[in-house]
Amino acid sequence: MTFLPVANILHHKLRSVLSAFGIAVGICMLVVLSGLSRGSLSEVADRWESVDADLIAVPRGYDEADNDNLITLSGLGVPDSYAAYLLREHGDLVRRACPVFLYKLNLGGQGHMSSGIDAGDWDVVAGGKKLVAGRLPDADGRFARWFDENLKQSKRTGPDDEDEEDIPPERQLVDIAANGGFEMVIDQRLARVTKLRVGDDVTIGQHTWRVVGIAPEGVVSRIFVPRRTAQHVFGHSTLRSTIQFIQLQPGVDPQAARTELTNDYAGLILVTDYRRKLEKQFEVMFKYVSVVNVISLAIAFLFIMNTLYTMVLQRTREIAILRSCGASGAFIVRQVLAESLLLTLLGVAIGLAITWPAKWGIEHAAPLLTVTIGWPYIAAGVGAAVLGAMISAFYPAYRATRVDMVEALTLE
Amino acid sequence: MTDNDILIAEGLHKSYGHGDARVHVLRGLDLRVRAGEFVAVMGPSGCGKTTLLHVLGMMTPADSGVVRFKGVSPTGARQRNQLRRHEIGMVFQRFNLLAVLSARDNVAISLRVRGRRDDGHTAELFRSLNVEHVAGRKPSQMSIGEQQRVAVIRALAHRPGLLLADEPTGNLDSANSQELLTIFRRLAHEGQTILMITHSPEAATFADRTVHMKDGVITA
Repeated sequence: MTFLPVANILHHKLRSVLSAFGIAVGICMLVVLSGLSRGSLSEVADRWESVDADLIAVPRGYDEADNDNLITLSGLGVPDSYAAYLLREHGDLVRRACPVFLYKLNLGGQGHMSSGIDAGDWDVVAGGKKLVAGRLPDADGRFARWFDENLKQSKRTGPDDEDEEDIPPERQLVDIAANGGFEMVIDQRLARVTKLRVGDDVTIGQHTWRVVGIAPEGVVSRIFVPRRTAQHVFGHSTLRSTIQFIQLQPGVDPQAARTELTNDYAGLILVTDYRRKLEKQFEVMFKYVSVVNVISLAIAFLFIMNTLYTMVLQRTREIAILRSCGASGAFIVRQVLAESLLLTLLGVAIGLAITWPAKWGIEHAAPLLTVTIGWPYIAAGVGAAVLGAMISAFYPAYRATRVDMVEALTLE
Repeated sequence: MTDNDILIAEGLHKSYGHGDARVHVLRGLDLRVRAGEFVAVMGPSGCGKTTLLHVLGMMTPADSGVVRFKGVSPTGARQRNQLRRHEIGMVFQRFNLLAVLSARDNVAISLRVRGRRDDGHTAELFRSLNVEHVAGRKPSQMSIGEQQRVAVIRALAHRPGLLLADEPTGNLDSANSQELLTIFRRLAHEGQTILMITHSPEAATFADRTVHMKDGVITA
């Protein structure tokens, strides 16, 4: 026997498809928006957690529990001398300290937090990953040697009124370029988007960089440049970088080391805290996404409620016929709820079916965005849909039980 | 009351509307129907025939008076619903088949509503009423005569004690009317109790007994 709600859905195909499509859009939005907001952040957090370090040295204040501005941290930060201090005074705790100069560069139509690094720190910064093509910036250290040799030729006042050496202005950009200072490694994803290959030149702002290597996906930054160049060009100081990745000696407890190593020059956070801080930083965005999701689902279910209510009004005779056969109120309610549930499940199926093309479309249009379609979001979407279907069908179902049998069967 | 009375109506009153618009339709109506009897109720339009059918069919309560079916007088909506579900079958002038279901499914859903399983009786009815060939068709794909016969099958599928028919030939041509009334006659001969509302004197000739209504009471 054909189930009456199924027969009704099949009999009113356009109405059913439109209703289901309303649900589908809501489900698709919920899964994709959640997957987009969480996925892109999760991808960033995953990359930071790939660093082979236990602690991150940050400027004082950024290490406080309620400070979530780490994601925006760039430019001058922790004194480079802190690395030497750690190794000298706390060699029993610290194995490696790798200064990194963070600065936002625009490439491929999107801003990226680039990392100015020393080639020798690559194994820590990249978490042991090897380049997939080319070499590291200033791989042989020729530029770093040239830079340090020329530092002493110019003096100016640096941060904290310290005298700071720098390259003489007349020898700056041209000579830096000539000595390999404007070299760059990009990750595979950025290479795919920009279609840049090893040996290509790319101009960002006032500077032209040469791509000398391609890093695998999943390393901490999408762009790596020589740290000295980044300090000089973006920070105008050779005494400070932004952060330092601290690799502890084997067996050292990161939490205990954190307390021990914090001083006036730098604060420390656990690498594993980065994800939490990142998510907290974007808490408002998550709330916004949740509100949008709730509104889109609410609209979808108002649509369903309206459809079912109209259906009940149009089918008073059908309901009355069932009642004349002795159908109980519960039977009538079950028919309406079942039809709502079926429409919703149809909508969920369509919604999920268009979710993957939507993910593909977003990632195709903006290849650096990550849409993670996670089962928790799908489960939440299906759960919300089923609950919404029941709630939105309740009033129409109640009205169906109130249909006056005699009136409905008597009126032509 | 005789032991053979399956349906008894005594002193039925029923009104619709309020205030000045109130219409007193049934005005102390009495009626008895014996088991296996085929009774036709005739009367002019507006005399209360259909209202009587709704009250006897447990679709609406009388304002006052008593309806007893097999000696039971329902006291509330729940009891009326139980009687409607298990003891009464209704045939309407406009057939009232569900448009989205096939003939077979129209009958099947009525059984499902009634909590009954089809023990083969439905197929037998489709055969005996000569509508086997439309069992898989929807109402829109059937002739009106076929629709009415399917409506009769739906009303009989659960083996009701009482078949109520409201102008069952009202929308049928004379050939289909004759055929349906012949079926009713045969059912009555087999022991089915039938109460039929009709305008047609010809239709009434098929019944065992005809009662006449006027102004909400049985006159003869």
